[in-house]
Amino acid sequence: MAVVGGRTQWEIGGQCPEETRLVRAPAGVRGFDPADMTIRVGAGTPVEELDAALAEAGQRANLPVSPGATVGGVLAVGRDDLHALGRGRLRDALLEVVYVGDDGRLVTAGGPTVKNVSGFDLCRLLAGSLGTLGLLGEVILRTWPRPAAQQWLAGPCDPVELRRSMYWPSSILWDGEITWVHLEGHESDVKSEAELARSLGCEPTDGPPPLPAYRVPTGALEAGQPTGSYLVQIGTGMAYVSEPRPIPGPGPAVVTLHQRLKSEFDPRGRLNPGRDPLAA
Amino acid sequence: MTAKKSLGIDTEEMASRPALGIDTEELASCVSCGLCLPHCPTFRVTGEEWASPRGRISAMRQVQDHGMAVDESFLASMDSCVQCRGCEPACPSGVPFGSMMEATQAELARRRRVDWRRWGFRVLGHRWLLSLLSRSLAVVQRLRLVPSKRLGLPKIPLVQERLRATGNDVWLFTGCVMDAWQRSTHASVKRVVESAGAGVALPSPGAACCGALSLHAGLEDHAHALAARTMKALEGSAPILVDSAGCGAVLKEYGKHLGTPEAVAFSERVMDVHEWLAAQADQLPSVGERRRDVIVAVHDPCHLRHVQRAHQPVADVLSSYVTMVTLDDEGLCCGAGGAYAAMQPELAASIRDRKLEAINRSGADIVASANPGCTIHLANAGVDVRHPLEIVDEAIDYDG
Amino acid sequence: MKFRKADPLMRDLRRVLPSDRVRVAPLERSIMGRDASIFEGGRAGPVCFPISTEEVQGCVDAARRHGRAVVPRGAGTGLAGGAVPLEEPVVVVATKMNRLLSVDADQRVAWVQPGMINLDLSRALAPYGLHYAPDPSSQQVCSLGGNVGTNAGGPHCLALGVTSAHVLAAEVVLMSGESVVLGDADGWTPGLDLRGAYVGSEGMLGITTAIAVRLTRNPPAVETLLLAFDSVDAAAQTVSAVIADGIVPAAIEMMDKNIIWAVENFVGAGFPTDAAAVVIVEVDGLPGGVAAEADRVAELAVERGGSVRRATDDEERALIWKGRKSAFGAIAQIKPNYYLHDTVVPRTRLAEVMNQVYEIVDEHDLQVMNVFHAGDGNLHPLLLYDAREPGIMERVHAAGSAIIEASLAVGGVLSGEHGIGIEKRDFMPLMFSEADLDAQARLRRAFDPEEMANPGKVLPTGASCAEVNALGKVPEGVWG
Ligand SMILES: Cc1cc2nc3c(=O)[nH]c(=O)nc-3n(C[C@H](O)[C@H](O)[C@H](O)COP(=O)(O)OP(=O)(O)OC[C@H]3O[C@@H](n4cnc5c(N)ncnc54)[C@H](O)[C@@H]3O)c2cc1C
Ligand code: SF4
Ligand code: SF4
Repeated sequence: MAVVGGRTQWEIGGQCPEETRLVRAPAGVRGFDPADMTIRVGAGTPVEELDAALAEAGQRANLPVSPGATVGGVLAVGRDDLHALGRGRLRDALLEVVYVGDDGRLVTAGGPTVKNVSGFDLCRLLAGSLGTLGLLGEVILRTWPRPAAQQWLAGPCDPVELRRSMYWPSSILWDGEITWVHLEGHESDVKSEAELARSLGCEPTDGPPPLPAYRVPTGALEAGQPTGSYLVQIGTGMAYVSEPRPIPGPGPAVVTLHQRLKSEFDPRGRLNPGRDPLAA
Repeated sequence: MTAKKSLGIDTEEMASRPALGIDTEELASCVSCGLCLPHCPTFRVTGEEWASPRGRISAMRQVQDHGMAVDESFLASMDSCVQCRGCEPACPSGVPFGSMMEATQAELARRRRVDWRRWGFRVLGHRWLLSLLSRSLAVVQRLRLVPSKRLGLPKIPLVQERLRATGNDVWLFTGCVMDAWQRSTHASVKRVVESAGAGVALPSPGAACCGALSLHAGLEDHAHALAARTMKALEGSAPILVDSAGCGAVLKEYGKHLGTPEAVAFSERVMDVHEWLAAQADQLPSVGERRRDVIVAVHDPCHLRHVQRAHQPVADVLSSYVTMVTLDDEGLCCGAGGAYAAMQPELAASIRDRKLEAINRSGADIVASANPGCTIHLANAGVDVRHPLEIVDEAIDYDG
Repeated sequence: MKFRKADPLMRDLRRVLPSDRVRVAPLERSIMGRDASIFEGGRAGPVCFPISTEEVQGCVDAARRHGRAVVPRGAGTGLAGGAVPLEEPVVVVATKMNRLLSVDADQRVAWVQPGMINLDLSRALAPYGLHYAPDPSSQQVCSLGGNVGTNAGGPHCLALGVTSAHVLAAEVVLMSGESVVLGDADGWTPGLDLRGAYVGSEGMLGITTAIAVRLTRNPPAVETLLLAFDSVDAAAQTVSAVIADGIVPAAIEMMDKNIIWAVENFVGAGFPTDAAAVVIVEVDGLPGGVAAEADRVAELAVERGGSVRRATDDEERALIWKGRKSAFGAIAQIKPNYYLHDTVVPRTRLAEVMNQVYEIVDEHDLQVMNVFHAGDGNLHPLLLYDAREPGIMERVHAAGSAIIEASLAVGGVLSGEHGIGIEKRDFMPLMFSEADLDAQARLRRAFDPEEMANPGKVLPTGASCAEVNALGKVPEGVWG
């Protein structure tokens, strides 16, 4: 059994066999009190719909917004968007999740408040699990204010130098030659930080470059001959490459832990068969 | 349990006295939050719970409330305590650690069959005996017959300047060890106090000792006898100025220890000399230009900072005469602790090492400390350390 | 139970650690029986002080061979009894593993040993213009390993997140004796977020032996405001209004009348003693945003009848924070003992729940003080009492239960930062269904199939799972 979202990242981490029963998660905003800065939505809700609902209140969630993708799908795949450096990680957006376990029972993990240490932190485990431990049904997300101003700049400067000089850029990308930097916040601050970036050789630009297809840990760039193009997401440990390349494998103890988690949460292998978070 | 004999503990007596005689309310007041831990020098250097205030209180409870035997590990826990009371101001629950430790030490002293301290500290009550011993010590030191450094002893002067009374506006408490070994400090203090326009009275030779060392070693009866003598020697209503933090702390607590109205009234007259001077700041002579360039770090003696909580005036007085820097170790103890440096040399040295690091970081030329114990302990590690008022005395332009 | 030198467990432990770092003296074992919670009567087996990952592995191996549980311990400041040893386990103390292993200022990563004190890390980072963001009120003493264990929070975790968001990787010794790195110091590695599942696991999944923490740049501008109100409602509404206005301050802390009074008496921080509540708001970042947000916060406070004092310099700011941070110190003046609770409610329900807390405390004839992380709805009612008063503990526990129930009733949670430990273990069924708890147990088993790491904490045992136990029914001999 597997949940389908928008199928925008359907093949990440392997493919489900033909006979897999596909289901859809409930969709729609279930509860939103802007003053709490949390929102409860069905996992099948398109991210664009979530974003529109939040935009009305001047807020946003820290989820990458791409056409067709669903909230549950984005969380299950667990790919941060380009702004993880400044806005934090996708996994930290998830406060509570209700999921369907291997035995068909509904399970709630986490809690509705922005701070919570009641029991083990299953939310972190489920974000990025490709639905292999449970099928996400409904989630509560933390939201943030939308900044008043934002600006992309790019130029041939040293990304490390740039990071050292700026206070809180939301993103720094580097393709080996050009560095892109995204600033957001109060208007006068964005302006003064942009000045700083210009003094280091960056000029305003429309947006980030297109992302190469495959995500790899930055460690993979150092290993092996570089082929094709790449883009490093500075400060996050992530890079994107145009040609697949070998990734330094996890240690045996990490692999064992993955196997044990899978067999505890889904002993019969019913949930999203064929997909493996380690291969994502 | 074979260790007991070597520790001089009377097994039989111990069995008959399970409790430590600590006030039950005091013992119950610790909520074991641990906030005192980083302020305890012995915890800082060992990282061990038994060498922390919380661990020591827990140990006291085991013995007093749960009948656990006083064994080697219990004694190690108690005797390793510097009694600096750095844990007290750090404690949110106001646990009176010092008084609990004093009670414990008193009980342990009763149980210790032989204890050289019983005899050693008695000397302190007799000025003639002390000065005789000191003079012989000064001679043997010069003949290099005793390893002074290892024993943590200062170089003792052979000839002492004589102090003369100049009035009776204030008393200057002269003490025992300090008077015998560091009388020149008293001379400086006296000059500074007089420069603020006060006539200084000096106690007669009978009032030799505040009793601090006896008290910390648990020799309560001896301490009380010394207190009675001291109170008698400093009669009247004039403020009693003390230039040794350790003595001042005990004199201020006579009221608490003896519980008599006279003792309470006496304690109320006691002031650290810097407290008194800070209040007369406008009377003090101005600085001669020459010492502005000297950088001084103040090491707050525990008994000034944690017990009297009167360390601020030292900095206030000094700052108009020299350039000051602060140590960044939050006033952690230097490990001197009265007789501690002699009793627990290893711990005392590791505690001092932390202090030396802080002094080095501060870039100070001179360290000022208002307690003879700290002065001796730090000087033994090669630090240029003086009494704050010696520095002031040198800086004041008495002629100008 | 007595441990003799010839005891096979002792023999094995002494093979991996020098004998002065394996202790069995009755005193040592009883001292290690407690943490900062109110649980007494826990009892340690052999107490081990390893100084390396290999030594920790050795301890775990020895314990496993003899079928004995292992309890990791940091500074022992936990308030939920997480480090309290039940049934004489091997206690592994991290205080001697307290070194800063490396700092990479450009990558903003430091590797530390678990026994390092939280504040010592930020002090060591000062020369780089960096700090470690989570700042629990116990930061001067608690260990980073303990912080990872409880997923600790602090006043400055409102905008930046609690410990979990600042841990990039953890080196962990599993109960199999294997050492494994969860997460990646660079920031990402493929696979499940094992790191995230591990943080906050209260020593029940393994023993942390090293931590890669994310470092935060010191903000170029800071504004600290002290807001005073005539009513708790107005204060709580201002907190909600600030959040609703789209401002995420670095910190929002609230103190009620009783604690203001006690703090003023204690340190004299210049708090208005006639106020019913004060709120400390700190905004930081780049100067433009900081100025605008501070102005807006002041406006929102004034609209709700508050008065505003803005710290004009670092000294005044330090004094305001001193007032907040001395709160615990001020309590002893009123009653000798306190019980600090920790629940979270949605921020929009703050005023309502605080009023309920006052009612509950009245009903049980107790005194309460509130000083808490209002910005994230994290309540910390401090119940004051004198333990010598007969029957008082029953009232304290009853009031505690009622506060927990009131918090859960409005959609809150059991704990915001102190964790579950023994304290709230039997309350877990109030918040989670059987299926929910079963899922948590599965995580536990995946890491530690034999349940040898810190047993008896967090998850209610099978039997008590069905019935909701009252606070008083913690295992015999443990509840103080
Ligand atoms: C006055 C006071 C104020 C406090 N304020 C706050 C606050 O503002 N915010 C907050 O979050 N907490 C606060 N606390 C609670 C406490 O300080 C935190 O929970 C802290 O994280 C505990 O750290 P510790 O080193 O004392 O851990 P311990 O108490 O020793 O252990 C806590 C838990 O972590 C586990 N553990 C410890 N070390 C390791 C390790 N190396 N490997 C695996 N597991 C380990 C233990 O088994 C236990 O379950 C406060 C406590 C006090 C007494
Ligand atoms: S700070 Fe006070 S209450 Fe806390 S452990 Fe230390 S002595 Fe006990
Ligand atoms: S008196 Fe000093 S050495 Fe003794 S427990 Fe307190 S802080 Fe530690």
